[in-house]
Amino acid sequence: MATTEDRVPEASEVAAQVSRGALLTEEMVLNVGPQHPATHGVFRLLATLDGEVLVDAEPVIGYMHRGYEKLVEARDYRQITNLVSRMDWLSGINNELPLALALERLMEIEVPPRAQYMRVAMCEMNRILNHLMFFASFGAELGAITPTFYAFREREDIQMAMEMTTGGRMHFGFFRPGGLKEDAPKGFFRQALKGVRQVIERLPDYENLLLGNEIFKQRTVDVGILPQDIAYSYGVSGPIARGSDISFDVRKDEPYSSYNHFEFDVQSAPNGDCFDRFWVLLHEVVESAKIVEQAIEGMPEGPVMGKVPRVVQAPKGEIYVRTENPLGELGMYLVSDGDRRPYRLKFRTPSYSNVSALPYVLRNTYVSDMIAILGSFFFVLGDIDR
Amino acid sequence: MGLAADEALRRVDTAVGNRLLEQRVNHGQVDITVAPENVVDVVTALRDVEFLACRFFTFLTGVDRSEFTDEPGGLEVLIHLYSVEHIFHVNVHVPVGSEEPICPSIAGLFRGAIWQERECHEMFGIEFEGNSNLSNLMLPEDFEGHPLRRSFKLPSRFVKAWPGAKDPEEALAGGR
Repeated sequence: MATTEDRVPEASEVAAQVSRGALLTEEMVLNVGPQHPATHGVFRLLATLDGEVLVDAEPVIGYMHRGYEKLVEARDYRQITNLVSRMDWLSGINNELPLALALERLMEIEVPPRAQYMRVAMCEMNRILNHLMFFASFGAELGAITPTFYAFREREDIQMAMEMTTGGRMHFGFFRPGGLKEDAPKGFFRQALKGVRQVIERLPDYENLLLGNEIFKQRTVDVGILPQDIAYSYGVSGPIARGSDISFDVRKDEPYSSYNHFEFDVQSAPNGDCFDRFWVLLHEVVESAKIVEQAIEGMPEGPVMGKVPRVVQAPKGEIYVRTENPLGELGMYLVSDGDRRPYRLKFRTPSYSNVSALPYVLRNTYVSDMIAILGSFFFVLGDIDR
Repeated sequence: MGLAADEALRRVDTAVGNRLLEQRVNHGQVDITVAPENVVDVVTALRDVEFLACRFFTFLTGVDRSEFTDEPGGLEVLIHLYSVEHIFHVNVHVPVGSEEPICPSIAGLFRGAIWQERECHEMFGIEFEGNSNLSNLMLPEDFEGHPLRRSFKLPSRFVKAWPGAKDPEEALAGGR
């Protein structure tokens, strides 16, 4: 620090010093956002800079806080399905699953096998959509616009399969306690298979496009390292945790909705840097595509809705249910008072816990790496602020 | 597959059983109740004891049980930890009363609690002793009240009929 006095120098004094040719070596606070193209929504970062080094970084969140946990206390369970799908808007259908599971377990509803397989297929298709979106945006943030076009081309076929089934492209509202809203239409299976097979076939090219690119490597390898114990301590999950050598996946550890019927690998990488996080994200796409194939090929016949009482009313009790969302562990802690509305419903969203680790990861990095690190944390603002 | 819940409960009991007010298995997860003064000890043991190793910080939140029909209670801090190694869950319930709810901070044990205690503080008005920054996280700085307390009512529920109701009386009562 240049100033030895405690007081902050007046702007005119600073200007006078600068005009005499003095170099200012004070720390500076740089405000990034709340509107910034690299932040995927209204997210603000207060970065304290010493030259080009970030000595401190404090994310400021809450610009999109909609008070979901309060709203759900005044809505019945049918209405909540549509609220939760708007938390992480890139993976709408995945958000609906834990709510349905929580109610099914409390009310002891059995879900027919066909509905379980359909749920798995649709969740994994949504995971591919989500991951391809981050493949596009991460490339764009590092200056490569090409991945965006390829990603959106691949997304379209899967997007169409989802649309012909649910009628929506982002907010599906398709899972009900007990099963699905309705069965898949004719053509869904063919369209979905076409989409995922294309992804499996073309993904190696995309890998080369970024992972094999020298500039991409220089900007991501050994940048923004998240050590394993820090990831645990913040509750970081999903592809970001698996990039830090944590092979932790709810689909494997505590299989729900018949995930134990399918063969897939949990991808993880050892170094915990931006490159590894992105590597995991990209390799998960192929695993998801394999699961969709298996689910559709082995799709059981039968109803898609279990025996559900006319009024969805959970008995008294408390339950914590979690699922593997594309961005990490999505959990719902439901306290039921025996009513048609939850007494308390806590959403444990993956982006919120993941982003809380940003101050640690950003400390002592360079300004030029900041965007790469922010991008490699794959967060959705609606999922943070709820 | 994970540890059976009974076995997990037995292990928790061995490690910290003498400091628990209550312990049971609930839907395949260990549920324990701890007095505020023992929270730091119990959570430290859950994290560090080798046969527990609950090193994954899932979440920290609050529950306001004041309008619970059967046995209305006060505010409660709820900490959820998960053992990645042994695959089991522990829900730590910490009753903190309704008047001046205070709970010791666990931000020194789990970094994730730094933010989640801030959120719990603004939403429920629970103080966390030892967390130096309890400024608002989600809410605007000048927000008044603690929205997730049951006494905080949504204004629209007073003036508008409830759209989810089956019969008119219920709709007019605002669904309450």
